[in-house]
Amino acid sequence: MSDDEIKNSQPETEPQEAQESKVVETEPEPQELQKPELEPEPEAQPEPQPQEPEAPPVREAPVADGDELLLPRDTLLSAGIHIGTRMKTRDMEPFIYRVRPDGLFVLDVKKTDDRIRVAGKFLSRFEPSKVAVAATRLYAHEPVKKFCEVTGATPLIGRFIPGMLSNPQYPNRVDPEIIVVSDPRADAQAVKEASDVGIPIVALCSTDNEFAGVDFVIPTNNKGRRALAIIFWLLSRQVLRERGELPADQNPKVTIEDFEAKISRDDEEDT
Amino acid sequence: MTERLPLSLTTCTSCGKPIPPGSKSTKFPCPSCGEIQIKRCEKCRKFGRNYKCPKCSFTGP
Ligand SMILES: [Zn+2]
Ligand SMILES: [Zn+2]
Repeated sequence: MSDDEIKNSQPETEPQEAQESKVVETEPEPQELQKPELEPEPEAQPEPQPQEPEAPPVREAPVADGDELLLPRDTLLSAGIHIGTRMKTRDMEPFIYRVRPDGLFVLDVKKTDDRIRVAGKFLSRFEPSKVAVAATRLYAHEPVKKFCEVTGATPLIGRFIPGMLSNPQYPNRVDPEIIVVSDPRADAQAVKEASDVGIPIVALCSTDNEFAGVDFVIPTNNKGRRALAIIFWLLSRQVLRERGELPADQNPKVTIEDFEAKISRDDEEDT
Repeated sequence: MTERLPLSLTTCTSCGKPIPPGSKSTKFPCPSCGEIQIKRCEKCRKFGRNYKCPKCSFTGP
């Protein structure tokens, strides 16, 4: 399963047959609002590539010499943060690098990297506890929990209780100034409520997401276990660095592994 | 809805139209430079329209 890492001589074709959805100028009611809270985890493909011992030098995006990423390119790629889905939306086109021969759309890691840096700056401007992070999707629970522990943000893990943001009568209501969602589709209720009350929304978006309601996109594989761990770890690190709580050349004490969702042995796909 | 004068309306960074009070709009410091307040009207937000920071040219969402 590493054909993705080779033969990238393919031109950046943007296959027109791929489904392109785009909200139309009517009533773009949030789709799948009534999605059950239990995710049909993981949707077939995006589970990260099994980490090959020594990933060959790959070229998933044009990279100029001297271009530095937040983590070594191989680390990012072996976690599959660039792996999208077999669908792309027009919204996500600017972040898509190419389509693989097997039909999977692949994100441009450089753009993901850029957006994580900007997201770090963005989030660091808010009071820590005023940043809420929603994670409906199972694999996002642990990464989000850790992100919140490390940065002082407010976790909204599991099913998003309707009214949590928008209903003043709701006893456990939270009152953030910005919200991060790990997937705008899985976290549609959070997106809807944040939109209703005017809270800016940062969203991890894969190739199949739309921008409706989203104010800041971080393009990434938002379904894979390892990818989510890396993204939230990097986000934590950037936030701490931007706040001046962590020197620019140092890492947080918590590791990427700590951020990773723990799953039962049966689900493991290692080796 | 009527207690504020149109004069006090802010305008949407994307479409340039005035944002009516009480609508589901949002505003936030430019994600990149933080120096400009980005404002997005309900429609631009809903339709995922781009906004561009007039100071640093950051383009979202
Ligand atoms: Zn507008
Ligand atoms: Zn700016």
